[in-house]
Amino acid sequence: MPLLIDSAPDCVVHKEGANADDLADFVLQQNYEDCAGFGTFMPGSTYGDDGSGAETLYMIVTWLGIVVMVAVLVAWVLYENRRLIQAAMGYTRAEAPAGGPPPQPGGVGDTR
Amino acid sequence: MIGSLLAQVNTLKEAGSAAAQTQDSAILSEQFYFFTVVIMWLIHAGFMSYETGVARRKNALATAMKNILTIAVVTPTFYYFGWWIYNCNQPGLPVGPNSSDFTGAACQGGIPWSDTFGPNLTNNINLVFFLAFLLFSWTTASIMSGAIIERARLTAYLVLACILGSVVWILDAAWGWSAGGWLTLRFGFHDSIASGVVHGVAGAFTLGVLFNLGPRIGKYTREGLARQFRPHNLHMTLLGLMLIFTGFYGFYAACLVIASTAFPGWANIYLSPTTLGSIAMIITMGFAGGFTGGYFASRGDPFWTVSGGLAGVISVSAGADVYAPTLGYLIAMASAAMTVYIGNWIEKRMRVDDAVGAVAVHGAAGFLGMLWVGVFAAGYPTGVNNVDSSIGGQLMGMATFLPLGFLTGWVCSWVMKKLNILRVPPEVELMGLDVAEYEPNLYLPEVGVVTEQLVEPDGTPVEAAIVLRNARDEVVV
Repeated sequence: MPLLIDSAPDCVVHKEGANADDLADFVLQQNYEDCAGFGTFMPGSTYGDDGSGAETLYMIVTWLGIVVMVAVLVAWVLYENRRLIQAAMGYTRAEAPAGGPPPQPGGVGDTR
Repeated sequence: MIGSLLAQVNTLKEAGSAAAQTQDSAILSEQFYFFTVVIMWLIHAGFMSYETGVARRKNALATAMKNILTIAVVTPTFYYFGWWIYNCNQPGLPVGPNSSDFTGAACQGGIPWSDTFGPNLTNNINLVFFLAFLLFSWTTASIMSGAIIERARLTAYLVLACILGSVVWILDAAWGWSAGGWLTLRFGFHDSIASGVVHGVAGAFTLGVLFNLGPRIGKYTREGLARQFRPHNLHMTLLGLMLIFTGFYGFYAACLVIASTAFPGWANIYLSPTTLGSIAMIITMGFAGGFTGGYFASRGDPFWTVSGGLAGVISVSAGADVYAPTLGYLIAMASAAMTVYIGNWIEKRMRVDDAVGAVAVHGAAGFLGMLWVGVFAAGYPTGVNNVDSSIGGQLMGMATFLPLGFLTGWVCSWVMKKLNILRVPPEVELMGLDVAEYEPNLYLPEVGVVTEQLVEPDGTPVEAAIVLRNARDEVVV
């Protein structure tokens, strides 16, 4: 049995030993004979229209991905905004007394 | 008795043979789309190299990172709702007459919790076909990315890339780039390798964004004349374009439907017969004509010569499944030449700062491509209703795609502008995006002793610093 999470669908079985026919085809099919959608947390079957047969756990995993995706985009916008404002304030302070041409990074006039 | 048994055995043999043939065909299709995806990655390596080379050195890393991060955001958004939009919206919008049937089996493959949209032993095709479309989505978003470099925020681009790559283009693809789309079914709209569906719409969207984003500081003089920013590495730009061209062969191939058990083995996206050779021939003639047209129209300018090749290919894509090679060559040459003039007009007359000419090369050439089918390739049955391609159908498609792309881009960027999350602060733009977004000291001193220059409208190269500072003060004040 898996140590933490058994995410394999019920269609995945554990038959003893390899079947000779399977070995001849280079695909050990016997453990997956009844499977269609066999991914982690999937029901293991053909669900029907609109994924209507998808199980609760699989829906939760899918929606978790959607929520994380949206949260990451929002967080990214906020993080960059803060970083740019800080950078702009830093440049304004640094250039105020001298008033010379802005240096290119690593180029002439770059004293950093 | 024996005869009956033999007949049963033969029937079983034939059934077994048919099943094996079907399995072989499925695996062949799976491999085919997989390898088109691999080849299409070169388009993105190319866009990155192309745009990074065009950027001034102080913006090089930010420009490259923006291209790479396209993959980080467009992939999940296209998985969670982009593929659903394509599969479920072909008859039309969700509301109104002829609205889409969201409970229909056609939606099945596009719903993220569908059994065919994950590991599935009974479906080899849906995931690789999705991946081919995903690569189209990255391409569509990347078309916009080059135009807005050196002043747009990374996250502004990423949000706009999600909207363009996972909503706008795939909606127009559902309508006009599928055998069951309403533009195809009712009007015979024909855009087989996506002149307008990908390039035209992306160009229109980009134009809408550029109106709100504004030009780079110092791009225009007080009198409105255009200055030129020198690309920091033109060789990198040319290499990028060559990579894009290579990847385009994968793009073209992925636009076909492979059906190895049916004559002639290939169909265009509308399921009408064609061959891989036909479209490969047209893309190559398109490059040849495009380079030539770009060269002569720009009087040998390297940037426009090579961009002309891209414009040429885009302009013949819509009819690439049926064009004769000579027609492809001539159309590409004329379109590339027109693109050069359109690009210069956009920069100098419209005063729109499009850093890589994307609106002209992709947008204008894409819409020209749709138009040319109506002029030169009318009369081809298109879509499952067998409606003939025609100038009217093509104009209908153009009239649909132009507002869809432009208005969406304009509205979304307008909202972001009002929220002040569209453009970097002027101080950051002047200093360079690399320093603010990434590492302060990117370059070794021995390779970093080049003073930034720009070219005045009269052709005089001048040191950029004072010009840019004055221009920045005008913006800030």
